[in-house]
Amino acid sequence: ATTRIGTPKRSIHMSNVVEELVFDKREILSTPTLKSKKSLIFNKEEEDIEKILQRVTPKKPAEKTPKRGRRSNSNYLKDSETPKTPKTPKTPSQKLKMLRSGELTPSFKEREKIDQSKSTKNILQLARECLHVSAVPLSLPCREKEFENIYTFLEDKIKDQCGGCMYISGVPGTGKTATVTGVIRALQKQVQEEALPTFDYLEINGMRLTEPRQAYVHIYRQLTGKTVTWEHAHTLLEKRFTTTSPRRMTTVLLVDELDILCNRRQDVVYNLLDWPTKTTARLVVITIANTMDLPERLLMSKVTSRLGLTRLTFQPYSHKQLQEIVTTRLSGSEAFKSEAIQLVARKVAAVSGDARRALDICRRATEIADSSKDKEICVNLLHVQQALSEMIASAKVQAIKNCSRLEQILLQAIAAEVARTGIEETFFMGVYAQLENIAHYSGGVLIPTIGQVLRLCSKLGAQRLIICEHSRNDIFQKILLNVSMDDIHYALKVTSDATT
Amino acid sequence: DPLLQRNKYQNARCILNSGETKNLPGREEQLEELKQFFREHLENKRSGSLYVSGQPGTGKTACLSLLLHSSEFSLSLQRIYINCTSIASIGGVYKKLSSELKLKPQGRAEHDYMASIQYHIQNSKKMLLIVLDEIDQLCNTKQSILYTIFEWPSLPNARLLLVGIANSLDLTERTLTRLSARCDLKPKHMHFPPYTKQQIVNILKSRLEEADVLDIFPPLAIELLAARVSAVSGDVRRALDIGRRVVEMAEQQKKAGDKEMNLQKLTTEAVGNLENLCKDNSVTLKPVQVTHVAAVLNKVYGASQNLHEDIEQSFPLQQKIMLCSLMLMLRNQRNRDITIGRLHEIYRRVCNKRNIHSLDQAEFVGLVDLVQTRGILHIIKKKEPRLSKVQLSWDEEEVTAALCDKQLIASILDDTTCLSK
Repeated sequence: ATTRIGTPKRSIHMSNVVEELVFDKREILSTPTLKSKKSLIFNKEEEDIEKILQRVTPKKPAEKTPKRGRRSNSNYLKDSETPKTPKTPKTPSQKLKMLRSGELTPSFKEREKIDQSKSTKNILQLARECLHVSAVPLSLPCREKEFENIYTFLEDKIKDQCGGCMYISGVPGTGKTATVTGVIRALQKQVQEEALPTFDYLEINGMRLTEPRQAYVHIYRQLTGKTVTWEHAHTLLEKRFTTTSPRRMTTVLLVDELDILCNRRQDVVYNLLDWPTKTTARLVVITIANTMDLPERLLMSKVTSRLGLTRLTFQPYSHKQLQEIVTTRLSGSEAFKSEAIQLVARKVAAVSGDARRALDICRRATEIADSSKDKEICVNLLHVQQALSEMIASAKVQAIKNCSRLEQILLQAIAAEVARTGIEETFFMGVYAQLENIAHYSGGVLIPTIGQVLRLCSKLGAQRLIICEHSRNDIFQKILLNVSMDDIHYALKVTSDATT
Repeated sequence: DPLLQRNKYQNARCILNSGETKNLPGREEQLEELKQFFREHLENKRSGSLYVSGQPGTGKTACLSLLLHSSEFSLSLQRIYINCTSIASIGGVYKKLSSELKLKPQGRAEHDYMASIQYHIQNSKKMLLIVLDEIDQLCNTKQSILYTIFEWPSLPNARLLLVGIANSLDLTERTLTRLSARCDLKPKHMHFPPYTKQQIVNILKSRLEEADVLDIFPPLAIELLAARVSAVSGDVRRALDIGRRVVEMAEQQKKAGDKEMNLQKLTTEAVGNLENLCKDNSVTLKPVQVTHVAAVLNKVYGASQNLHEDIEQSFPLQQKIMLCSLMLMLRNQRNRDITIGRLHEIYRRVCNKRNIHSLDQAEFVGLVDLVQTRGILHIIKKKEPRLSKVQLSWDEEEVTAALCDKQLIASILDDTTCLSK
């Protein structure tokens, strides 16, 4: 038996040695040439890039850039009119180049099956579709005042042909971005009817950027369709916004999640807000963030000064507004009982006033109603109640109930230790002493060793029922309860009642 | 002509934008001083450095860009303007400068660019003016770059005028202490004081006169606006912003009034009078009222007080209870260190007493975060959400005024039994 085990081991070892040898040899033989080649290639590429850059950035910007911009625009238009099939890239680098220049548009693989037609769906399914968060209605209910405010601001700026900034704040799910995009849609409609001069619309989202400076890349890509490095994009944008050109259109830039763009230097935010102050730029920046006092709290004073005082706050929805939002979404469908909607609206409005939350709960309620297989296809109060308890439920009591007996005793011991010392932070030693006592009294339970209790501790810590340090600290580790003491008493009392 | 069709409100709104302008009333003294500095150095062919400081919105950049574009110095000076926020990294300033100067350095390392700039400074025929805006962006721990730049004027044969612009009054003294050891290196300091009330009045008046719409702003309104802005910051961007807001407000009111008028006329009279209506609109334009100005000023400067109008209908109940519990704890406990876990415990007891369903801790943390966005609270983040500390950043009176629910507050604040258990 020993020989059997022994031989394969040796062979593996041998092969390892051989491989190592070969690897070493190759490395020794070829490293210098490889390195030099690599560096050569790199230099070449860099030179190429430099050449391209030089070609792209002409030395006389004032004369040439607008021309080029117009030409590229016209090219773009032509492309959209007669969609040519771009030649298929042969090598990966060619593909990358085409992607960066915007010749290849990224596409998804389409589904082979055709989607279910609308007629086969029942009321609940249709309601679920209407209630989906992504199905933004054309006109947002309960945000007419804010819509009007933003609309007049943008309309004035476009008509006046000057730049400006606006700061919009509000807690999540209060319809900030939806309202702004709705305003833009309305303005674009006006442009089509030729009641308003044309304008460019760009948008960036701070959360979609890996780094604040990537904002330049995104803005430039939306303007021209090309992907360049951020430094290059920044110089090109600066050139665009600081030089005069007679045919400059107004540009509306929506900056979502502004607080993500703030770093220590705040150069990106500064630039984004400084360009509108240039008369040549004709840039209107609309910034959105959650915090009401972000400019005062986070931004430098010179940035705040540029941000200006045109501000708008979106208040959280009240229960009446939430009710109206849900009912307009359902638009006459009888999938919901009105009191069910009201319950959802009141529960959500009491916590956050987040419309997304209300819609999510409603959708969950339709799912519950769908699976309950009732004869009447309608969401009633019970379904909503269940959905609410699922989504605003505390799972902690359940978790304590489902702990093993020893874990429960440990939790009790921690609670007892906290009650004894009056300090929230307890040491393992004290807890263990308490645990011994409780185990004695409860009877029939063997007192576990310290090692076992440490294991229980780390298990409860992983469940986040308690907060504990690394168990290398042994009996000196600090333990904190992550659930309230009332929860422990409640859970354990109820179970003990049930068992007896 | 589109300009003729526009009414005076629109013109006023347009002229009050915070873009660049040609004439700078209220900065004559500083402009003259700057010109004098340039002239002196040009005549003597001597290099020198200048540091311009001042609060945001006091017209530093405007003054210098006016001088950069003026014809007086265009022949005798090569002029470079760089905004230091637009460079990639602190060291990138050399690259930017050399590209602005159209130099061809030997290599592409930082010191190559620097060497080429120094060579240019020492050998150029024309005097060179470099304006570095927002120069505080160039600060790093060693200040090596700022020192190098401020040493350029004292290079042999250098003919360079260096102007640095920043907000802080004592940037050169505080961060560039070594410069004061040598008198020739120390930059001349020039401060732009915040605009006074009279200066802001003059600026607004001159702007409005430019567009010939002075009559829509009565002098009293301008005085009120200027007095308030100059008392707080003296930032002219603010003043222009407020002026614009006032005009917008008046315009909206007028629009609403017009709509009503139109409706009334349409209902009472026949359709034939439309022409008359149009004439009426173009002729009568009420000047802005003082109440408008006061309203905008209150909205801007009385931040937390007048938010309440909006808040009162839509402050979620759980947030109210959370704030009340926090106030209860602050009032009755000597220890001001309040963790979220402790606050949650009290909050649950308060909820239980009122027979309201209380939130789980995970939800509660989100709730506290939402209130933080209003600026009422401040959370000091710790490793665990339960251990994060909560601080009330508003006054208690402000909070009670904001909540607009005196009954609830009173009942919770009286309930000290929730605290002890």
